[in-house]
Amino acid sequence: MKVLLSLMLFFSVLFSSDATIDVVKRVDTLPSLGIESSSSDYNDVFKMKFFKSLVADLNVISLFNVDRHFRENDFDSSELLIQNKDMNYVLKYRLLQEDSGALHVDVKLIHNDETILNKSYRVGKQSIYVFISHAIAYDVNNAMDAPSVAWMKKKVIFSRIVAPKKSEIVIADYTLTYQHTILTGGFNIFPKWANKAQTAFYYTALDGSKPTLKHIDIKTAKITKVLSSDGMIVCSDVSEDKTKLLLTMAPKGQTDIYMYDVATKRYKKLTNYGGIDVNGQFLGQNKIVFISDRLGYPNVFSKDIGSTDVEQMVYYGRSNSACSVHGNYIVYKARESSNAFSKNTFNLHLISTKTDFIRRLTATGVNQFPKFSQDGDAILFIKNYKAQSAIGIIRLNQNKNYLFPLKYGKLQSMDW
Amino acid sequence: MKSILLSSVAVAVLVFTGCGSNQPAVDKKPVENVAEQEVEVVQTETVSPENSEVLDFNGMSINQVEQKLSTVYFDFDKYNIRADMQDAVQNDAEVANKVASRFKVKLEGNCDEWGSDEYNFALGLKRASSVKKALVAQGVDATNITMVSYGESNPVCTAQTQECWSKNRRVDFKLLP
Repeated sequence: MKVLLSLMLFFSVLFSSDATIDVVKRVDTLPSLGIESSSSDYNDVFKMKFFKSLVADLNVISLFNVDRHFRENDFDSSELLIQNKDMNYVLKYRLLQEDSGALHVDVKLIHNDETILNKSYRVGKQSIYVFISHAIAYDVNNAMDAPSVAWMKKKVIFSRIVAPKKSEIVIADYTLTYQHTILTGGFNIFPKWANKAQTAFYYTALDGSKPTLKHIDIKTAKITKVLSSDGMIVCSDVSEDKTKLLLTMAPKGQTDIYMYDVATKRYKKLTNYGGIDVNGQFLGQNKIVFISDRLGYPNVFSKDIGSTDVEQMVYYGRSNSACSVHGNYIVYKARESSNAFSKNTFNLHLISTKTDFIRRLTATGVNQFPKFSQDGDAILFIKNYKAQSAIGIIRLNQNKNYLFPLKYGKLQSMDW
Repeated sequence: MKSILLSSVAVAVLVFTGCGSNQPAVDKKPVENVAEQEVEVVQTETVSPENSEVLDFNGMSINQVEQKLSTVYFDFDKYNIRADMQDAVQNDAEVANKVASRFKVKLEGNCDEWGSDEYNFALGLKRASSVKKALVAQGVDATNITMVSYGESNPVCTAQTQECWSKNRRVDFKLLP
C-alpha cells in the first residue's frame, strides 16, 4: 500500500504540469465570492443582464466558488451584507449612466476587509456592457495573481452560413453575447486575424470566378485582394510577426500548403503530395504542422520548411482532420465513428510531443476547429449539435468546458 | 449582381480596442474611455454575373445547356467516381464536347455536413478533380474547365437523413460564358 501511495505521489509530481493529464476530481476548495450590486440608474432587466454576465465571466476564470444570488447594497457602504459576511471575497460594483448614455462601472474587490482591486470602467454604449464584464473578470484574475486570461478580451471572428452559398463574417466577444456582422451579402468564409492587435483579417471570397484570398483592414474598411487560386484558397495561419502566411491552395486542382510572403507577395510550395495536404500551422520558426491523407486517412504531420522529410505526429484516431498547435501541445479533431448512414461523432484530443499521453477533451457531438489561445491557456472550438452551433472554451489547467450557443446560422469557421 | 457590404466597421473597432487597453491595477482608479464614432464606409464590390442569360449559336440559353449536364454523386468520405455514376460522366463529357463546347465548365465540389474544416473543402475539390480527369479522358479540353470547392456550405438538402447527406456529396456543373 505504501509503495502504491508513493508511486502515485511520484507520478502526480512528475506530471503535475502536463496539460495532457486530466484532473479527474478537484476537491471543492475554491474560495467563495459574493457579489453586491448597486445601481439606481438602470432597470431590473439590465441589472440582471449585467449580473449574469459577470457571474459567467467570474466562473470562467475558475478561481472562485461564485455565489449566484443577486444582492444589492450601497457601493460606498463600508458594511457588507449579512449574507456575504462569511465570504472569502466580495465583489462590489455600481452601474452609472452618464448624461451621454455611456455606461460607467465602479468595481471593488474586498478580501478580509481590505480592498484589493478598485477600478472604474466606461463604454460609450450600454449595449456593449459585456466587454466591461470581461474586463472586470480579467482584472480580478490579475489581482489574484492567477495565470493570465488575456484571451478573454480577445475578439472572436467567425463565418456563419445563412443559406447555401451565402455567409456572414461576424466579430464577437468570446461568449458571442455581443456580435457585430462585419461582412455580409456574399459567400465569404475562413476568416483569419491578420495580426495580434486584431485590426485586420484575411478571408476567402468564393463569389468570383476563382476562389480569392482577401484582406480587410477594419479601421479603414479597405479590402485588398491578396491572391487567387483555382479550386480553393484558405489562409490557415499567420506567423507571429505577421509577415508570412500559410495558405492551402490548389492552383492545379491539387491541394498543397504554400508559404506566402506578405511583403514580397511571393509564395513557395511547402508540400508536394498527390493527395490532400491542408491546414498548415507554424510550429516555431522553421517547422510546420499540417493535415494530410498520405496514409489513406487524414492525420497530423509535421515537416521542416525546406526539407522533404515528413513526420507523423499523432498515432491515435483513424481520421484526424484538423489541428492547432501551441508549444509542445497539439489539439486535434478525431472522427470517432465512420458511418455514412447515421450521425457521426468528432471529438477533440490533446497530445504532447514530449510524452505519449492523450487527453480526450470532449465527449459528444461534432467538435471541430480547435484553436489554442495565444498563451495556450485555453482552447476555443466549434460544437455543432443537431441544428445548432456553439463556441466552446476548454480551460486546460482547470479542466473545465464552457459552451456559448450561436443564436442562428451554422458556424463555418472561426479564429481568435 | 452580388454585393458585399462592409458596415459599421469603425464602431466595432473602437468597441474592441477600448477594452483591450486595460492594465491590471490595484488601488488605482483609471477610467477607461471608449469614444463613439459614427458608422459607415460602405464599400460595394462587383463580381462577375455567373447566371446572366447568354444565347449560344443553336439558340439554347446557357441555362438550358446547363440542365443537360448531370450532377455526379459520391460515397461517404470518398472522391473516386462510383460505377453507377459512369453513365452520368459519359453524358456530361458528350454535352461538354458538343453543345457546351463554347462555354467554360465550372465544376463545383460539395460535401455533406460531416466536417467544416479545410480537409472537407479539399475533399470537395478532389471530387471536382476526379470529374475533371474523367472529362479530360473523354476529350474535353482541360483548359476549358475550372474547379471550386464549397465544402459543406452549399447543401441542396438540410434534413438529418442519409438520403439528404448523399445528395450533398456531389459535383455540380455550371457553365460560364
